[in-house]
Amino acid sequence: MLSVEGLTVAADGVELVHDVSFTIAPGERVGLIGESGSGKSLTALSLMGLLPEGVTATGAARLHDRDLVGVPEKRLKDLRGSELAMVFQEPMTALNPLMRVGAQVAEVMTLHGVPRDRARARAAELLGRVRLPHPEQVARAYPHQLSGGQRQRVMLAIALANGPDLLICDEPTTALDVTVQKQMLDLIAEVAPALLFITHDLAVVASVCERVLVMYGGRVVESGPIREVFTRPRHRYTEGLLAASKLTPRGTRLPTIAGSVPAAGTFPGGCVFRNRCPHADTTCEQAPALTGEGHAHACWHPADRG
Amino acid sequence: MRGRLNASLVTGGVLVGIVVLAALVSFVWTPHDPTLVDAAGKLREPGDGYLLGADKFGRDTFSQLMVGARTTLYVGIVAVGIAAAIGVPLGVIAGMTPLGWLSELIMRVNDLVFAFPALLLAVMLGAVYGAGTLTAMIAIGVATVPAFARVARAATLQVMVTDYILAARAAGRRRAAVAFRHVLPNISSVLIVQASVSFAIAILAEAALSFLGFGTRPPTPSWGRMLQESQELLFSTPRLALWPGLAIALAVLGFNLLGDGLRDYLDPKLRRIRAER
Amino acid sequence: MPTHAGTPLIEASGLTRVYHRPRTSLTRPGEPVHALRGVSLTIRKGERFGIVGESGSGKSTLLRLLCALDRPTAGSIRFDGREITGLPERRLRFLRHSLQIVFQDPMSSLDPRMRVRDLVAEPLVALGEPVGDRVTELLDAVGLPATAAGRYPHQFSGGQRQRIAIARALAPRPKVLVADEPVSALDVSVRGQILNLLADLVDELGLTLVFVSHDLSVVRHVCETVAVMNDGEIVETGAVDDVWAEPRHAYTRTLLQAVPTLEGFR
Repeated sequence: MLSVEGLTVAADGVELVHDVSFTIAPGERVGLIGESGSGKSLTALSLMGLLPEGVTATGAARLHDRDLVGVPEKRLKDLRGSELAMVFQEPMTALNPLMRVGAQVAEVMTLHGVPRDRARARAAELLGRVRLPHPEQVARAYPHQLSGGQRQRVMLAIALANGPDLLICDEPTTALDVTVQKQMLDLIAEVAPALLFITHDLAVVASVCERVLVMYGGRVVESGPIREVFTRPRHRYTEGLLAASKLTPRGTRLPTIAGSVPAAGTFPGGCVFRNRCPHADTTCEQAPALTGEGHAHACWHPADRG
Repeated sequence: MRGRLNASLVTGGVLVGIVVLAALVSFVWTPHDPTLVDAAGKLREPGDGYLLGADKFGRDTFSQLMVGARTTLYVGIVAVGIAAAIGVPLGVIAGMTPLGWLSELIMRVNDLVFAFPALLLAVMLGAVYGAGTLTAMIAIGVATVPAFARVARAATLQVMVTDYILAARAAGRRRAAVAFRHVLPNISSVLIVQASVSFAIAILAEAALSFLGFGTRPPTPSWGRMLQESQELLFSTPRLALWPGLAIALAVLGFNLLGDGLRDYLDPKLRRIRAER
Repeated sequence: MPTHAGTPLIEASGLTRVYHRPRTSLTRPGEPVHALRGVSLTIRKGERFGIVGESGSGKSTLLRLLCALDRPTAGSIRFDGREITGLPERRLRFLRHSLQIVFQDPMSSLDPRMRVRDLVAEPLVALGEPVGDRVTELLDAVGLPATAAGRYPHQFSGGQRQRIAIARALAPRPKVLVADEPVSALDVSVRGQILNLLADLVDELGLTLVFVSHDLSVVRHVCETVAVMNDGEIVETGAVDDVWAEPRHAYTRTLLQAVPTLEGFR
């Protein structure tokens, strides 16, 4: 349904995302994992056609058979919010503070040609669908009168308003408390038609997605079914990241990855992880290709299948 | 720590630069003595060593403009200096103790001054203490205090909620040290922008006061008074009003553009957006 | 058990803090918000004490009170036997000496206009102590090169900035280090480095650690004792391992169940 081929994003001649390819089938929930500077958010924004000024995407991305990259803004506008919708990290800034939330949900529908009264009725229905208690009351509230979790549910309702085929979520629960996060994750997994879920949190991905793409330095370094990737990681970065994510009891040392994530544009050539990788050698000066059916990795010295 | 040069900043910088240069050069050289009355050269046409001609007393217009730039800058610097020297400390104090009675008092007095028209204040001071450049500068300065106090307070409020202020307090910094070490450096860019905008307003105010006869007194050349003196000849010799008018307009435009440009140049938010790309 | 061995260092009793919302009416004062409702706790010398709670639980308010950055509406805090509530800043020097803080977000807790040298030396300067070679020494202790001193915070990565913040906190050789969510703004791959560094420094310098977090699993890794906060109260306190294995309070159980795990595949 969604197919991305050789997506590259660059700003001022610096490649921030390099040759990213993946597909999402209807009903599939795919996670995109990465730390700061991995290019995960830029990947999502380029699918939405929402890249900041001065940042350009090349390559191909198609939803069904419609191009998403390199097409005029006007054509993307029709797609955005109808077939493709996105939920952002910070629900407070994504909502208009001067407009009742019900009207904001209805607005996305009227923008795409739904008559006003029908849109209004459906807005309340949608607010109920994202499990907001008393949806009619919530529809009349302003964003500041809602909690962070409730606002994020409103964002989800807006995203779902026109029955999109694909939902993109960029760190939708990072600003929320853990107890609220869990409900939100369950909800997203339940209502998403097909999902691209972007996060830095491995455990969150594990609880929502079926398949995962691991990004580092603007490249997909490993991809595959989540259970396999998380239990038998092949790329050394994924391996290190998983080890670092497991918090052991007190008194033990945490496994770490040496150094820190380089700033954008300063990743090494060849394998982008080689300056932090304990297994790197001269082979790694050549960029490894992402190889493998199902569970793929881009590493010259992959961890053994345990 | 540096932003990118932008069109406003460059244009504003060039215009302001011309005014500053003209003022500086006028100390050592002007084509003619700007105050020399020459009955023979009355309303002399441009040319023959008199680039822009002469006025009804035969004084060289170009020389007057150059020395007038001096008056303009002088008034601007002193007025903005007075405003900043009083307004910034008041604003910072009010911003650092937003809930105290002192803050409340400062801001209410501020509102009172703000509500009082600057020109009226200057006219009143002029009537009491005698009109003159100094009176004009003080009046304009005092009238600009609230602008600085407000901007300083708003910027201080923003800085005060940051973690680094909390961190400085936790490190044992006293209030005054917090103000000088953390608050002032972090609100300086906003203040610089305010200063350049206030400068433009001060220039305009001085010109208006001189035009009304409450500002710079003869024979010191001033753009505002040049305008006033050219009034009766507006239809016969319009160039006499044109040049000082143009000088005022360009200087005001220059300082406004400079302020805009500096805002973009110094704004850390805009800078961050660039850095993230 | 070390938990019971040390003598009490920080004793808080009956801490209450009420804020008032901005007034919306001329006749009535702003609505009160009860951030803390009678919190008591004892932190012993050498202990690693964790405080866990979500936003609005009162953990940040409690932390500010313990660091004398805010005053309680009622209740008392004794530090090393001395009452610290209500003291003016000039009489808090002993506390500033003995207790230092590392904040959550090293981007916002380090003044962007100051060089690393001045940032690290600031507690010493503020307390009127000689700086000498201490900055280099401290940078070395947190694994940063001496050349870092001349640079600005924005020239460092998140993990490095948090190292700078730790170096700064250690400058006056405090007895207590308070860490407010020190790793929640960091990438996973550097989180481990910072937690290891904190553990090493606490061991080497024999510090008492107060560690505030929303994440019980991080607290479990770092601390031996934990207080779980909800709605302005401590709902459960005890040895971390016991609370982790057998949470007694319903809220603690909810919190534990909500934490996503790597094994929680769908």
